[in-house]
Amino acid sequence: MLATAGFKEVYSMEGGLRAWDGLAATGEPDAGTARFPEKASVAELIDLAWSLEEGNRKFYTELQALLIDREAVELFQNLVLAEEHHQSALADLRLKLTNRAAGAGIPEDVMEGGMSISAALDWVSGKKLAEVLDLAIALETNSYDLYIKMGQRGFDLKSKELFSLLAAAEKEHLGRLVGLLDRKL
Amino acid sequence: MRSELVSIRDYFKPIPTMNTAQVRELLSSKDPSAYNLIDVRQPGEYERAHLPGARLMPVAELLSLAGQLDPNKPTLAY
Repeated sequence: MLATAGFKEVYSMEGGLRAWDGLAATGEPDAGTARFPEKASVAELIDLAWSLEEGNRKFYTELQALLIDREAVELFQNLVLAEEHHQSALADLRLKLTNRAAGAGIPEDVMEGGMSISAALDWVSGKKLAEVLDLAIALETNSYDLYIKMGQRGFDLKSKELFSLLAAAEKEHLGRLVGLLDRKL
Repeated sequence: MRSELVSIRDYFKPIPTMNTAQVRELLSSKDPSAYNLIDVRQPGEYERAHLPGARLMPVAELLSLAGQLDPNKPTLAY
């Protein structure tokens, strides 16, 4: 069908999604941007991204106190730093575009994937490290998915570039979390 | 008539496939902007799980939505 519509190079995945045993995102096509009108402006999407990074930063900060494994604690410390860098980049872009700080008017107790921080911390209490890492992987996969879609929205070049960089960063986080999970299983 | 026969024959041409290892390689090595990734299933299936960055384009609406994509990029559909 796509080939007849002029698409030059088309492939289908053998077995469909059932055959896939890798990372998968969840949610509706606009999940993560659902709290905004369909035609959210780039400033609104920056606010969303900033607040989700903030939520994730808080979650990973609190999480370290609940973990015993040294390697895991170190990874989440690095992720906290990464989230801070992401926030800084988003805040800079927000200021350049609108002369206003990022994150204003966004709910506070929310993290990547739309989960509340307090609910996530309650959930991890008493859980095995592998389960905690699974949760972090699910959150980062949804963020990766969200940033790809934000980058596809067709805004100005600077915004597209930033969302693309953030998507690449989330992908790198995923690699590290999955690597740690593989070592701890 | 000739062009109709050509387009009907096109529907019988096998579409190249990628196995999951090849898809994994594509997703990990390429920037998402370098390819089109399409989920042709229904919204409920997409909500339950989809490949990161996949655009939902249910098969019944595929042709009408395909204009949103760059036809010159490699396209992976599942």
